[in-house]
Amino acid sequence: MDFDIIVIGGGHAGIEAALATSRLGFSTLLVTQNPDCIGKMSCNPAIGGLSKGNLVREIDALGGEMGLLIDRSMIQYRVLNRSRGPAVQAPRAQADKLVYMNAARAAVEGQKGLSVFMDTVTDFMLDPSNSRVEGVVTERGRRFTSKAVVLTTGTFMDGKIFIGDFSASSGRLGEPAATGLGSSLRRLGFTVGRLKTGTPARVRRSSLDFSKFEEEEGEDPMEPFSFRDDVVERPGSSCWITFTTEETHAIIRENIGRSPLYSGKIVGRGPRYCPSIEDKVMRFPDRDRHQVFVEPEGLYTDEMYLNGLSSSLPEDVQAAFLRTLPGLEAVEIVRPGYAVEYDFLEPTQLHPSLETKRLSGLFVAGQTNGTSGYEEAAAQGIIAGINAVRKLQGEEPLVLSRAEAYIGVLIDDLVTLGTKEPYRMFTSRAEYRLNLRHDTADRRLLPRALEIGLASQEAAERFAEKTAAIDEIAELLASRKTDAAAAAILPSLAGHVGDSLAQASKDPAVHADEFASAIPELSVYRPDWVREVLIDVKYAGYIVKQDRAIERFSKLEEMRIPAGFDWAGATGLSNEAREKLKAIDPRSVGQAARVSGIRQGDIAVLLMMLTRRRGGDGDR
Amino acid sequence: MPTPTYSLDDAIVALATPLAESALAVIRTSGPGSIELVASAFSRFSALKAASGNTLVHGFILAADGGLIDEVVLGVYRAPHGYTGEDSIEVFCHGSIPGVGRVIERLLEVGFRRAKPGEFTLRAFANGRMDLTRAEAVSEVIAAHTEESRMLALRRLSGALADRVGELKSGILAALAAVEVQLDYAEDDAAEDIELDIAGLGSIERSLRALASTAGRARLFRDGARVAIAGRTNAGKSSLFNLLLREDRSIVSDVHGTTRDYIEEWLDVAGVPVSLFDTAGLREPGDRVEAAGIERSGRVIGSAAVVLYLVDATGGLDDGDRDFLASHCDYTAKTGVAAGPVVIPIWNKVDREVPASPPGFIPVSVKKGEGVDHLLSVLGSVLLEGSAGGSSADGVTVASERQQALLERAADSLASAIASHRAGEPLDLVAPDLRDAVDALGEMTGEVSTADMLEEIFSRFCVGK
Repeated sequence: MDFDIIVIGGGHAGIEAALATSRLGFSTLLVTQNPDCIGKMSCNPAIGGLSKGNLVREIDALGGEMGLLIDRSMIQYRVLNRSRGPAVQAPRAQADKLVYMNAARAAVEGQKGLSVFMDTVTDFMLDPSNSRVEGVVTERGRRFTSKAVVLTTGTFMDGKIFIGDFSASSGRLGEPAATGLGSSLRRLGFTVGRLKTGTPARVRRSSLDFSKFEEEEGEDPMEPFSFRDDVVERPGSSCWITFTTEETHAIIRENIGRSPLYSGKIVGRGPRYCPSIEDKVMRFPDRDRHQVFVEPEGLYTDEMYLNGLSSSLPEDVQAAFLRTLPGLEAVEIVRPGYAVEYDFLEPTQLHPSLETKRLSGLFVAGQTNGTSGYEEAAAQGIIAGINAVRKLQGEEPLVLSRAEAYIGVLIDDLVTLGTKEPYRMFTSRAEYRLNLRHDTADRRLLPRALEIGLASQEAAERFAEKTAAIDEIAELLASRKTDAAAAAILPSLAGHVGDSLAQASKDPAVHADEFASAIPELSVYRPDWVREVLIDVKYAGYIVKQDRAIERFSKLEEMRIPAGFDWAGATGLSNEAREKLKAIDPRSVGQAARVSGIRQGDIAVLLMMLTRRRGGDGDR
Repeated sequence: MPTPTYSLDDAIVALATPLAESALAVIRTSGPGSIELVASAFSRFSALKAASGNTLVHGFILAADGGLIDEVVLGVYRAPHGYTGEDSIEVFCHGSIPGVGRVIERLLEVGFRRAKPGEFTLRAFANGRMDLTRAEAVSEVIAAHTEESRMLALRRLSGALADRVGELKSGILAALAAVEVQLDYAEDDAAEDIELDIAGLGSIERSLRALASTAGRARLFRDGARVAIAGRTNAGKSSLFNLLLREDRSIVSDVHGTTRDYIEEWLDVAGVPVSLFDTAGLREPGDRVEAAGIERSGRVIGSAAVVLYLVDATGGLDDGDRDFLASHCDYTAKTGVAAGPVVIPIWNKVDREVPASPPGFIPVSVKKGEGVDHLLSVLGSVLLEGSAGGSSADGVTVASERQQALLERAADSLASAIASHRAGEPLDLVAPDLRDAVDALGEMTGEVSTADMLEEIFSRFCVGK
C-alpha cells in the first residue's frame, strides 16, 4: 500500500480532507493538477457570510484549517446582520486571494505525513469484486494504491467554460479540465449530472473612477474566525458599490440570444440564489438597477472583482455593458466573466459519512457533490477526511445532526434530498438555527474534535478557559442587580434598576454590545464571550422551546436503521416508499422521514419493523 | 420542515367511542405509566395500582381539588396484553359530551398526551399485537389521517374555506419570505431593508380569528353554553329554574356547583348542553352579604351566552327592569354577534289578570307550565344562531374543531410575531412565530417546505451578488 488515503484535488475540500487524515496519523497523498493552485479562490474574494461564517467556525471547532487561513489573509472584516438578530449574524471577510492561497499551500506543505503530487487522476483501482476502491490511476499512467480515496474535484471534472460562443474544456479559465474521471464514474455505475455556475469579469483597478462609487469600509478591529486566534493583525481595505443602469439592462436584453445560458448551449442548472446578471435582468424586468460590489482581489494586484455581474455573454457585450456602470466608463477587462459547467455526483449516492454506497472506501466532498461555495466544500472536506480515517480505524463515522451544526444540515440535505441546483447553505435550511450561532460553534463541536483527536492540547485548554469564563459571566448576570450607576452610563437601563442584569439584558432596547460598558465587573472578560452569554440569556426562552422540539426530533434520529437493512423485503411498506427508501438507504428513522415522498404512514410501519427487529415478540 | 414525530414511549389518551350524547363512552389510554397516571386522578388509586391485568376497577375520576368528575369503571390491561400490548386503561364513563370532555381534560392534566390518529394501532403493531401483513393497510389508515392536510382534508375542506385559508397563508408566507430573505442575505446583499407590513398582518390575524370563530357550533356542542335566569326578586326565577330541570330531568348530569349566590345545573336544549344558572334577585341590596351575592350574580349574567329575564307581569315593568333591558340588547333586535349575553325577556304569571305582554316578550306561566315549550324552542334557536358566530361575510365556515384550533394557533403565532416586531425584537425572533403560523395553516391546506419558502424568496426578491 503506497498510502493510507489519497485525496484527489487541492481545493478547499481537498485541503481540509488531506490535513484531517494526515493529522490523524494516516499517510496521505494529495494529487493535484497544479500545486501552484492549492487553496485557490476561483470566484469571489471572500470567506464567510450568513450561515457560511457559521460553517467556517464549525470547521475550525472540528480542528480544520479554513478559519486560520482567512485570519492570515483577510483585508476586510464585517459582521453581517447586526441589525437583524444575533442568532443569524455571521462574520464575513474579504480575502487577499494570493495570501490565502500561500497560507493554504504552506499549511499543506508543512504537514507531516502529507505528500503532494502533480498529476490528473483518470480512473480508480478496484478490488477483484469491484466493490472496494484500492487506489487511483493517473493521466500519465501512474498507479497509487491506498485503503481509501477522497474525491474533491470541484468544477474540474469534465469542466467546460463558456463565454458567448467560445467554449473550452477547463475547470477554471486557463486551467485544463480533468477529463476521464467522470466517464470512469459513469462506467462504475454512478449517476453523474451537470451543474453550472459563473463568475464575473476581473477588471483593472487603475481604469476605474472611484469618485463615482460608494465606499464601504470594514470594521475595526478585525476579529478572528478561528477560536485558536486572539487577534487579527492585517492591513485593511475598503470595497466599493456601484449600480447597473437602464442602459446596462438594454444592452443585455439586446444581446440575450448570444448568451450560452439562453441559447441552450449550457444544459447544467445554475444557482437561483446567485444568478448571472443576464438572469437578473431577464427575471426581474421591473428593477431599474442592480447593485454591484467592486472588491479587491488582493492588496498586491491591480485586479478587482465585480461582485454581482457574473456573466457568460460574449466578451464584446461584457465590455459594452460594463462601460454603462458609473465609475466603469473607461474599464479595462483583465479576465472576462464566464460560466462553467461541470460533472457532479448525485449526492444521494452517498452515506451520511460521505462514503459512496456503491464503492466502499470512496469518499466524495465539495462541489463534486453539487454544492457551491468554499465553505460548503471545506465543511464536507473535513468530514470526508475524518470519516475516511474512521473507516480505516473501524470506528463509527462522524455524522453531525441537523440540530448540532450547519454541517449536519448540509450533509443531511445532500444525501437525503439530493440537489437540482448548486446547493448553498441558508440559515432557513436549519430548523434549529437559534441553536447554531457562529459564536457557539466551539461549544457545540470542540468536544467532538477532542474525541476524534483533531483538537490540539492548546485548543482544549483555551476551550476550558472559555467554558469557565462563560459560566462565571452567566452567574454574574443572574445574581447581580442593575444599579443606578449602570443606568447612569447606559440610559436604556433606567427602567431596570433593581432587576437582575439577565432580566435587564432581555429588553430589546438594551443592546448587548453596550451592555458590558455599563457593568464594570464584565470588563474583565473578553467582550466576545460576554456578548455570547448575553445572547444566550436573551434567547433562553426560545432556546428552551427549540430544545423541546429537538428532543422530539432526536428520538427519531436516534432510531438507527442497521446497515444492510433489507428494503426490498420490507413488505409492509408501499412499493413507492420501498423504492425511494432503497435508493437513499437512510441510516435513521429521522432521515427516512425526510426522504422526499415518504409519508408518515410509511414511517409508522418502518418504526414497527425496527421495534420488532430489536426484540419484539413478532408472531403473537 | 415539520418532521413527523411518532414516539412509542409516552402515555396517550383518546376517546374511543364517537363524540355524541350516549349512555356510555369509552376513553382509551396506553403507554408506559398509564396505570399510575390514571391512578393519580382516581378515587381508589391503590386498588387500581394493585389491580392485575384484564380486570375491572370501579371508582371516581377526581379533579385536582378532589372534587368528583365522574363515576367510572376502569378496564385494566398490563403489558404485553391488551389492544396495544402496553400498560393501558380503558375508562368507561357516562356519555354526556361535557362530562367526557372533563374526564379527558383531567387525564391530559395528569400527564397524558392526546393520541394522534392511528396511534393506538401503530403501537399495537409496534408491540407485535397485530400481524405484519396488515401493516400496509394500517399505513394507509394512518396516512389518510395524518396526511389530511394534503389529500383528504383538501376534499373535506370546502372549496371556499380552502381558498380563504390559502389566501391568508400566502399573505403570511410573503411576510415570512421578506423576513427570511433578510436573514439569509446580508444588509448589503439584499439591497434594502424590507418593511414588514404589520397592518396587513394584523388584518390577516383578524381574519383568522373571525374564521376560527365560525367553528362556534362545534364548540357549542362540545363545551355547551351558559344560560342565566335573572329578574327582580319574586319574578319567578327559581320556579322557572326548577320547572326547566323537571322538564328534562332524565338528562340532568351529576355535576353540582352550588353556591350561596347562584345555583348551576345542566340541561339539554336542542342537543346543546346548557349550564343553567339561577341568580340572586336584582333589587336594592338589603345588606352587605346580599350586595355581594348580587354582584356575583351580575358576573354570572355577564358571562352567560343567554339571559332569561323574568318580569312579574302582575307588577309590570319597573325602572329596574327597564334599566336592565335597556342596557342589554334585545335578542329580537340582534344583528350579528351581541357584545354581551342575548336577553330573552319573559312575561311571567300570565295565568293571572295581567296586561298584555309587551312586544318581544314571551308570555309564560311558570306556575302552570304554559309557554315553556315555546320558551325552550326560542332558547334553542338563539343558542344555535348565536353559535354561528363570526362575521364571516362570505359565509365561509370552519367545519371541525381541529381546523379551528389550527386557525387559532396561526392567529396566536401571528399576534406574537407582530408583538415581538413592535417591541423592537430582531427579525430572527419574529421569524419562528411567522413560520409557526404558516405551518399551522399548512396543516390545513398542505405543508410548506423549506424548498417552497426558498422558491418564494427567489421568485420575489432579486438576491445574490
